[in-house]
Amino acid sequence: MQAARLPHPGPAIEAPQAHPKPEPLLELRAINKTFGSVAALSGLEASVAPGEFVTVVGPSGCGKSTLFNIVAGLEEPDAGGILRFEGKSCHAADLLGRVTFMPQRDLLFPWRNVVDNAILALEVEGMPRDQARAKALKMLPEFGLAGFEKQYPNQLSGGMRQRVALMRTFLFERDLMLLDEPFGALDALTRAMMQRWLLDVWQKYRRTILFITHDVDEAIFLGDRVLVMTARPGSVKLEQTVDLPRPRRPEIVTSPEFVRLKRTLLDAIEEESMKSFQSSIVQEKTQ
Amino acid sequence: MSRALASPSLAVQRGILGAVLLIACWEGAARGLHLPAYVLPAVSDILVGLWSKRATLIDAAGYTLLEALVGYGLGCLIGIGLAVAIALVPALRSAILPLATAINSVPVVGYSPLILLWFGIGVSSKIVMVAMAVSFTVLLSMLAGLDRVDRRAVDLMKSFGASRFGVLWRLRLPTALPLLLAGMRVSTVRSVIVAIVTEMLGAQGGLGWVIYQAVLQIDFVQVWSAIFVASAASLAFFGLIGFLERKLLFWT
Repeated sequence: MQAARLPHPGPAIEAPQAHPKPEPLLELRAINKTFGSVAALSGLEASVAPGEFVTVVGPSGCGKSTLFNIVAGLEEPDAGGILRFEGKSCHAADLLGRVTFMPQRDLLFPWRNVVDNAILALEVEGMPRDQARAKALKMLPEFGLAGFEKQYPNQLSGGMRQRVALMRTFLFERDLMLLDEPFGALDALTRAMMQRWLLDVWQKYRRTILFITHDVDEAIFLGDRVLVMTARPGSVKLEQTVDLPRPRRPEIVTSPEFVRLKRTLLDAIEEESMKSFQSSIVQEKTQ
Repeated sequence: MSRALASPSLAVQRGILGAVLLIACWEGAARGLHLPAYVLPAVSDILVGLWSKRATLIDAAGYTLLEALVGYGLGCLIGIGLAVAIALVPALRSAILPLATAINSVPVVGYSPLILLWFGIGVSSKIVMVAMAVSFTVLLSMLAGLDRVDRRAVDLMKSFGASRFGVLWRLRLPTALPLLLAGMRVSTVRSVIVAIVTEMLGAQGGLGWVIYQAVLQIDFVQVWSAIFVASAASLAFFGLIGFLERKLLFWT
C-alpha cells in the first residue's frame, strides 16, 4: 500500500502534468461497498481531474464493476465514504444523468437504426427528433459511420456497433464519461483501431474519461494515469502516471518507456492476482 | 423468418398439395362408402351448398367477424392496458394476476349463460366473451414480453435521465412487441372460436347460429358450409395479424 501515491486535495500535490487542474471533477474517499458478507470495495480512494483520461486495471473480480456502478450512479456505496462531484459532496444517485456511461455490451436497440440509436439520450432529454438527428448526422463521419445512418444494428459489425454506442455516449454531453471495457469483445486488430480512434475523438472533445479494462496495454496506451486495483476487497493499489507524449502512435507500445511502465503495472497486478488465486485455493482446501 | 421468405412458393405448394390430398380422400370416402350426409357429406356437395346459400353465409360471416374483431380489439386493449399498468405500478401484479387467472381457469364458455343473461343474445354478449378470452392471452404474453427487458438497458436509460414512463415507452414496449404480437396472433383464432360457440348458445345471427339452426333442421351440408366459411375467416384473420407481425418486427 505504501507504493500508492494518492493525491490530496490542495495545491501541495500536483495533478498530472499534462493538464494541471486544482479541483478534481470526481473524488472518491474511503469508499466501501459490501454485499451481504462479501466486501467488494474497501477504502477505495481515487480522483479524476477535468479533461483527464484515467484507466483502471485489476485482476478479475476485484470490484471494478462495483466501482463502475457507483460512479454511474446505479449503486450507493456504504455509509461513511465520501463521494464528491465537481467539488460538491453527493450521493451516488445524484450522479445519474450527470455521468454518461457505456457498458461492456453495446446495448443498441435493434428496432432503432444507427442515427436513432445515437440520439437516444438526446430524445430522453426532450430534444426534438429532427434537431437531434441533424446533430448526430454531423458526427457520423468522425465515428466512421458515414453512410450507415439508416442501417440497423443487426447489419453492423462488432466494431461499428461499439462506435454507435460510443457516439450515443458522446452525444449525451456530460463532463464525465465512464467506459467499462468497451472494446473487450472485439478482436485484437479492431480493438487497436478503436483505441487510436478513441484517443483522436477524446483529444478533439476533451471529455473526462474513466476507462475500466483488464488489458494493461490498453490502460497504458490510452491513459494519462493508470489505477491498479487490489484483489477483492478492491482498493487502489498503485497509481501510475503515464508520461508518454500525445498524440500516441501505435508503435509506442514497443518503446522502452512503455515497456517499463508495463513491467511495473504487471508486477502489481500479478501480486494481486496471486493473492486472489491463493485465497481461492485456501478456500477450496478448507471446504 | 428469412427461411420462410426465401422459399414461400415451396411452402405454399406443400400446403396446397396437402389440402388437395385431404379433399380427394374425403371426397373418395364420402362417395365410395356411400356415407349418409349426416355422417360426412362429400366436399363437392358442401361446395355446392355453400354457393347456393352464399348470401346467408356471407351475412352470417360478417356478423360473426364483427363480433370477433370488436371483441378482439377490446380484448387486446384491456390485456395491453393491464400489462402496462402492472409494469408501471408493480404492486398491481399481485392484485391483477391471481384474479385474471381465476377468471380464466374456467373455460370462457362456462360464463356464457351469465353473459347472455347480462348482455342479451345480441352482438354485445359475444363481444364480451371474445374480449374476456383474448384479454387474458394478451395480458400474459405482454407481461412476459415486458419482463424480458435487459436490466442493463434499463440502467442505461435511467442514466440518461429517463423516467419510468420513458423507460417503458422507449425500451420496454418495443422489447415486449415480439411476444405481444405472438400472443395476438394466437388470439385471432380463439376470438373466432369463442364468437361461434357463444352464438350457438343463443344469438340472432352469425355462423354459430347458422350451424345451430342447420343441426335442428338436420341439414348437415349447411353445417359443413358454415364450418368452411368460419375456418376461412379464421385463417384470413390469422394471416393478417401474422403479416402485420412480420412488417412490425423487421429487426427479429
